[in-house]
Amino acid sequence: MNSPTKTKQNKLIIAKEMLGNLVDRRVLTALEVCVRCGICTESCHYYQSNPKIEHTPYYRAELVRRLYRRFFDPVGRVFPQWFGAGETTEDLLSKLAETAFSSCTLCQRCTLACPFGVETAEIMRITRSVATATGNAPDILVELANAAIAKEENAELFRDIYLDQIKDLEKEVQDILGSSKARIPVGEKGARMLYVPLAGAHTIVPQAVLFNIAQESWTLGMFEASNYAVFLADGVKAKHIAERITKEAEQVKAKEIIIAECGHAYTTMRWDVPKWRGSPLPFKVRSIIEVLDEYVREGRLHLDSAQNSQPTTYHDSCNLGRKGGIFEEPRRVIRAAASDYREMTPNRLHSYCCGGGSGLVAVEEWADIRLQAGKLKAEQIRQTGAKIVVTSCDNCRHQIKELSERHDLGIEVTSVSELAVKSLA
Amino acid sequence: MTLEIKSDQTINLEGLLCPIPVVKVSQAIKNMAVGGVLEATATDPGVLLDIPAWVKSTGNELLSIKKEDKLIRFFIKRTK
Repeated sequence: MNSPTKTKQNKLIIAKEMLGNLVDRRVLTALEVCVRCGICTESCHYYQSNPKIEHTPYYRAELVRRLYRRFFDPVGRVFPQWFGAGETTEDLLSKLAETAFSSCTLCQRCTLACPFGVETAEIMRITRSVATATGNAPDILVELANAAIAKEENAELFRDIYLDQIKDLEKEVQDILGSSKARIPVGEKGARMLYVPLAGAHTIVPQAVLFNIAQESWTLGMFEASNYAVFLADGVKAKHIAERITKEAEQVKAKEIIIAECGHAYTTMRWDVPKWRGSPLPFKVRSIIEVLDEYVREGRLHLDSAQNSQPTTYHDSCNLGRKGGIFEEPRRVIRAAASDYREMTPNRLHSYCCGGGSGLVAVEEWADIRLQAGKLKAEQIRQTGAKIVVTSCDNCRHQIKELSERHDLGIEVTSVSELAVKSLA
Repeated sequence: MTLEIKSDQTINLEGLLCPIPVVKVSQAIKNMAVGGVLEATATDPGVLLDIPAWVKSTGNELLSIKKEDKLIRFFIKRTK
């Protein structure tokens, strides 16, 4: 996790520069107004699952405050030990990196509890930026972000492989629909929607079935929606990866970008990309969930809830729900597709993170930490008595599957799109 | 005539959805000696793109990647 190319001295210089640039007055105010009252403590799924001070949001903020004061406070520069006795700045940087990546999923639940609205997620995002720039970020997240860039840089090389793969998937769609006319168009100019899937077939085949039934004007893009540079808080790479998609949408002259069931990909395209560009996007951005809900409400998709009679619950992805405001759309589709729907408590805005968010599900060395942090979610699921858990985010899906194995929940985890296909009338 | 590739370690990624196969491959490769060959089988067609892209960005060598009906088999050599 430590880059050998960065010397200790270089790391400190980079860390100071990054922190100085990223901690603006808004963040500094957040750091200063936190009085460590502890009201946020119970809101954190890490603390609830393993109650210790390191798992409190205010402790995380305190580490950043300590580092900031060492670098920028005149007293901290002369007496750094006053802001963390017996701890070198290098140690503090390393501890901060691990905290930001392994002990906080940026779920933002603590902000709702804080009387001052301190945004710990924003503070941790800055910490992730510093960790990434100093070579302290998890290698796998860097590798996945770089692989996405490699796909774009070698697009011609990968194009034929991709088209072959899509041809195979198109046959699957035709088999499901019993129609040789069903299609998965790729890069088709003039299509109203550019649908951006993830790498896996589970985010292409069910959606293609539903688009064909709804007779949608759509096309698939070349690139996947996930953006691992967002988890690294590496603004330059994240913007680059996102631009692959906006360029495609411009090329096909799409009116809308539709993002697969993926939490961070949706919030990135919906909220972050316009900020990075400095102007609104020339097309609408929606989640596939919003589109499916529209199809059901407009009668373009007929679902039969009798097809799924098992107890079913929905896990709100923090990105789609708390950060994206998409609460009712998935529920309307699920209620149309399953006859025994049950809510977890709490849910919607106050839903607990599953523990796998913000890229943590990809970091194998911290699997135990995230599975322990997900204990609360496992208990919530158990209390519903549900046998099917629906979620609209692949990170959540991976995590809940593993939680099921770890906590013997005996559940099936699926997406809204897959459930909809199973309930086609 | 096709040459058979000899692997030093084999991992089963069948049933895993992307990017988890890449995550498992990355971890397995890091635990191998330089020059070692990893063989893997997967079922998610996403690996047909994800693995070559990961190999390109990490500088390892993809010796072969082939579809065998629903199964995808690939060999990667750790180069550094």
